[in-house]
Amino acid sequence: MSRVALSLALVALACAGSKDSAQAPAAAPESPAARFARDPAAVDRGRRIFIGTCGAYCHSTHDVERDAPSLFDCEWKHGGSDEQIFAVISDGVPGTRMPAWKGALPEGDDDIWRVVAYLRSASTCKGGVTGAH
Amino acid sequence: MKNVFVWLVALGFAWGAAAVGVAEEKEQPAEIQLPPVPTHWKAEKPVGTSAGPVTPDMLRASQIPADRWIQYGGNYRNFRHSPLKTLTPESVKKLAVAWAFPTGTVGQFEASPVVYGGVMYVTSSYNRLFALDAKTGELLWRYDHKNAENLRLCCGPPNRGVGIAGDLVIMGTLDAHLIAFERKTGEIAWNTEVANYASGYSITSAPLIVGDLAVIGVAGGEYGVRGFFDAYDVKTGKLAWRHYTVPAKSEPGTETWAGTSYERGGSPAWTQGAYDPETDTLFWTTGNPSPDWDGDGRAGDNLYSDSLLALEPRTGTMKWYFQFTPHDVWDYDGNTQIFLVDAKYEGKPRKLVVQANRNGFYYILDRSDGKFLKATPYLEQVNWATSIDDKGRPVVNPDALPKEDAKFRTCPSNLGGMNGSFTGALNPDLGLAFIPSSEACQVYSKGISAFKEGLPYLGGLPDTVDATAGKAYGNLAAIDVATGQVKWRYRDNRPMMGGVLSTAGGVVFSGNLEGEVLAFDAKTGKVVWRFRSGGGMRSQPIAYLLDGRTYVAVPTGSFSTMDSFAAGVTKVPEGGTLFVFALPK
Repeated sequence: MSRVALSLALVALACAGSKDSAQAPAAAPESPAARFARDPAAVDRGRRIFIGTCGAYCHSTHDVERDAPSLFDCEWKHGGSDEQIFAVISDGVPGTRMPAWKGALPEGDDDIWRVVAYLRSASTCKGGVTGAH
Repeated sequence: MKNVFVWLVALGFAWGAAAVGVAEEKEQPAEIQLPPVPTHWKAEKPVGTSAGPVTPDMLRASQIPADRWIQYGGNYRNFRHSPLKTLTPESVKKLAVAWAFPTGTVGQFEASPVVYGGVMYVTSSYNRLFALDAKTGELLWRYDHKNAENLRLCCGPPNRGVGIAGDLVIMGTLDAHLIAFERKTGEIAWNTEVANYASGYSITSAPLIVGDLAVIGVAGGEYGVRGFFDAYDVKTGKLAWRHYTVPAKSEPGTETWAGTSYERGGSPAWTQGAYDPETDTLFWTTGNPSPDWDGDGRAGDNLYSDSLLALEPRTGTMKWYFQFTPHDVWDYDGNTQIFLVDAKYEGKPRKLVVQANRNGFYYILDRSDGKFLKATPYLEQVNWATSIDDKGRPVVNPDALPKEDAKFRTCPSNLGGMNGSFTGALNPDLGLAFIPSSEACQVYSKGISAFKEGLPYLGGLPDTVDATAGKAYGNLAAIDVATGQVKWRYRDNRPMMGGVLSTAGGVVFSGNLEGEVLAFDAKTGKVVWRFRSGGGMRSQPIAYLLDGRTYVAVPTGSFSTMDSFAAGVTKVPEGGTLFVFALPK
């Protein structure tokens, strides 16, 4: 019985610790991509932007690596957070064919976030997400 | 070559100095300043001096002598047909490597070498230009162009060769310059900016020399540029004229573009044309309108995209035009190789211009006035149009139009058919044109795009369903030039995307993406020789005769991204190597 008591005490302690830690740092704000991900119309607009702007001779719609990398395998060369993906689309990658798209899409930053939401929705993470941070 | 020695000495000195520094001052390791990489090695003494300047008369010859190859297209008619009778279906079995040369670059090695005065001038991807002894391969001079890092390239870094005029060889660059070099020394004679590359322009083609003008066009159809081709004074590099391929406000032709869509209408001119000395007519062809796969914002025929233009070469003034694919929404650039051929058409001698168009149809026109005569499919799979009507206008299949939720498998793929990045050849004795092609279909989708200068402006994409599924293949077809009838086909496992050489001895040379150089019997299509080069063949082969010995030069090396796009993922590595074969003495 003493083992049971000890276990209960540890669980209580763990819960208390969990509560304490949840209160300490504020939760990270939701990225616009996560918000768009819940809106099918926004995800579809992201898809259509990808088709009209990002595919063709650059990124394949299939999980195929060209000189422009696949964006559907969850392997991110320049960071895999929503914000990092947004930054790459927005600012481009010097020394590669990836240009800066900031200010180039019809609805500005929101359209870039919609593309991020679409990429998330269409990806198959066979090997987990790399480059998350 | 002295420069190399100087840099090696400098490098050695830097290392030595650094080593001493480290020994004496361990607290503060010295930083080694490497010397900048040299980019230009001039000839130690003039080369190719046995021959005088290349004259307009030399370029006008209908059959250029076998000791030289001085036109990208072989001659002004673009036949790429060597007069050498030594290269026969039997003799080619004795071909052996005489020498080889690495470019040190990756990406498509698409050049047609030029040979003159015993010197070969060949360009690689990323605009390296090499002058080589055409018999031994010895490097005589070299120039590596320092391209910008942020080039605007849709489809890789190729260059297809130099033009040669007087004592100059002239190369266009990926950052849209035109540079002339003294052929004997490699000294730069002039360097002219054709366009601001950052706006979406590049040059991949070899210039066409007509009289004292070098004619060159730009790429940029995937960037919404305003397409054009220029003529420059060969001696000075000064612009003589510019011919825009899209009209400006209030000019005739704007009525074929909805609203102001002509302002970003593309229609580049990234391949070489042809010249008819008899009528003093320059022929040039144009590429796709922008954006490629969404025509909703540019309703109309979109002149002068996907067209053949006939012009006055001194002024660039247009005589007539013919548009192959009005309102193109598939990326069917109208700029594959044109042949100027005199043949009997329906029993009567005619001066024809013929073309295996990227859209899958073989066109026959009267080149004196541009009158459309006939178009027939030369591919095994064509369904974007059901036919070409009697005025030369395609009858479009509505199912084949790009859609937002596309499912229809449209043929050919956006790469063609044939494609302007590689040549065909024409044997006038047999009356056959030899046309390499891709047999692949795609699902064309349209999406959202917005124009911003210098950024891709695509409007959609072709889903490479056949290539991804491993179903894309290729043919080399022999086409009766006066009827369009296919006489024979050689089938390859992957699209045929290498150029062609024909010989008077009855052989056709080309190659495949698997890394083989191939020779065919021109009459039957039977493979009579093959050589495993190891690199995908995307170049334009040539033949020449020096000191009684017959040579065949074949650049090899492909670009994995385009291979993957055309034919599915490839295991063949990149890397340019020029192979030169020779018959025994």
